[in-house]
Amino acid sequence: MKPILTAKNLTKSYAKGILALNKVSFTLDQGKVLVVMGPSGSGKSTLIRTINGLETFDEGELNVLGIKISADSDERKIQRIRRRVGMVFQQFNLFPHLSILENITLAPIQVQKRNKKEAEEYGMKLLCQMGIESHAKKYPGQLSGGEQQRVAIARSLALKPELLLFDEPTSALDPERINEVLDAMRRLADQGMTMIVVTHEIKFAMEVSDQVLFIDSGKILEISSPEVFFSNASHERSRKFLNQIN
Amino acid sequence: MNNINPNLNTNSFQKLKKFLLSKSKYNFCNFIFFVILISLIFNLLTWIFINSNWKVVTSNLNLYAFGSFPIDQQWRPTLWFFSLLSITFITVYGPKWNWLRKNLIFGWIGTVPLGIYLLNGGLGLNPVMTRHWGGLTLTILITSCSILFSLPIGILLALCRRSSIFLIQKLCSFYIDVMRAVPLIAVLFFGQLLIPLFLPVGLEIDRVWRAIIAFTFFVSAYIAEDIRGGLQSIPNNQIEAAKSLGLNKYQINIFILIPQALRVALPAITNHLIGLFQNTSLMSILGLMELLGVSRSILANPEYIGQYIEVYIWLASVYWLFCTIMAFVSKKLEQKMTINKGY
Repeated sequence: MKPILTAKNLTKSYAKGILALNKVSFTLDQGKVLVVMGPSGSGKSTLIRTINGLETFDEGELNVLGIKISADSDERKIQRIRRRVGMVFQQFNLFPHLSILENITLAPIQVQKRNKKEAEEYGMKLLCQMGIESHAKKYPGQLSGGEQQRVAIARSLALKPELLLFDEPTSALDPERINEVLDAMRRLADQGMTMIVVTHEIKFAMEVSDQVLFIDSGKILEISSPEVFFSNASHERSRKFLNQIN
Repeated sequence: MNNINPNLNTNSFQKLKKFLLSKSKYNFCNFIFFVILISLIFNLLTWIFINSNWKVVTSNLNLYAFGSFPIDQQWRPTLWFFSLLSITFITVYGPKWNWLRKNLIFGWIGTVPLGIYLLNGGLGLNPVMTRHWGGLTLTILITSCSILFSLPIGILLALCRRSSIFLIQKLCSFYIDVMRAVPLIAVLFFGQLLIPLFLPVGLEIDRVWRAIIAFTFFVSAYIAEDIRGGLQSIPNNQIEAAKSLGLNKYQINIFILIPQALRVALPAITNHLIGLFQNTSLMSILGLMELLGVSRSILANPEYIGQYIEVYIWLASVYWLFCTIMAFVSKKLEQKMTINKGY
């Protein structure tokens, strides 16, 4: 197994003395699913956003897909990472002025310079995979939250990424709509996609993840397999957290 | 809870009805107003149809429309008017074909060079000097050229004002602030009197073009501010989503930010463009024979002496008509963008 992602002593402070990330180190192997859990404000979103450069960090080193970045890396290097790493947001963040298909083909056409027809064919294939091919000509505002999030997943897949980041993908959805998104993610994991998922869905974490990372106040408290984490968490804080959300 | 509101409405409606109709003193007031209104309308109509002399308008329609454009060449501006009208019609009522909608913008851009070519001549048409351009033709030409130039400049200024490069950002802010602090008539005087002084000897820009340059300078500053407002209204997560797809700064601006900002800024931009159309009348002070300038020269004709009211009512209705068309097109565009995109 070759590691796809290595983080070494990542540290970030927002204001003086308050650490958003405190010497975070972990590795992720190809084809594995890592679930990140933690109370709100613990730094889990910050962690996942540093991986594709939406947040900067102050110290430490990050190696994503063989591209090494440090605190002073320039935008161009980060862009090389972004082209190979997809991201799905809590609020979907679709482009409201573009149709569903245009949302998906924008990056392949503009960033990867693929021709339009090829990009559209691949986009339709992704929409079929997500079960929303009938909405291709509609606009994001006409879709339900669950459908929008599936479009967002298809959009991030359009660049054929080697790593997918999910930042609380189901937190903004109706309870009834959560499963359709989780099912899509489950299928991706089955296909061998490497994923990092910030989520509160315990069932999903138990079934799909290979590792669970628990973070609080910017510090990783434990990384363990889901069997161990959910039945016999080693850290007291994790046990307390699991009690709270159960 | 739901039943309260209708009740409230009927109650207040009944109160209003009572207030207006049942009491005799209010009836009396209503009657007085009615009499005044009727007499006003009556006087206006008798003036329009009996007392006034519309010969000053009807016998000079050619002048109002084309100024002193050679009569045998007047089909050229007429053709241009027709092309403008048809593209307006297609924009508002045209079919919803996707390729048509996407290329309509090029049609609009194309009307400006078409207009300049038809008016100016050359390439098979007899050349016509700009001093023969006039009337409504000139008004519309100045407006459309200034719109065409000031929109991209305004977008550029708005983007530069948000630039991370200190010097560019400060320069643009300075430019916008100066333009907004100077009255339009001063900018127009600058354009007419100072631009020739700054140019090297031998190079000369025509009066009409100097006017268009001055209007472009002025209006683009206002449009830049409208678009900046639109840009600021776009949530940051749109930029993050675009970044995470690997788009660079320019691609984010072109494909994500500007289209959304234009949609938000459209009503404000329309406002300034209508203002621009009306402000072209200031050029009559500077000696251009646009619609107002032509009218003033007609009024100077001894034959029509003293017929100000007829001419100005006529002018007011022409300006009103064109501004209403502009507002209508903008409203339709807004609706189209809103319905399509399900905002």
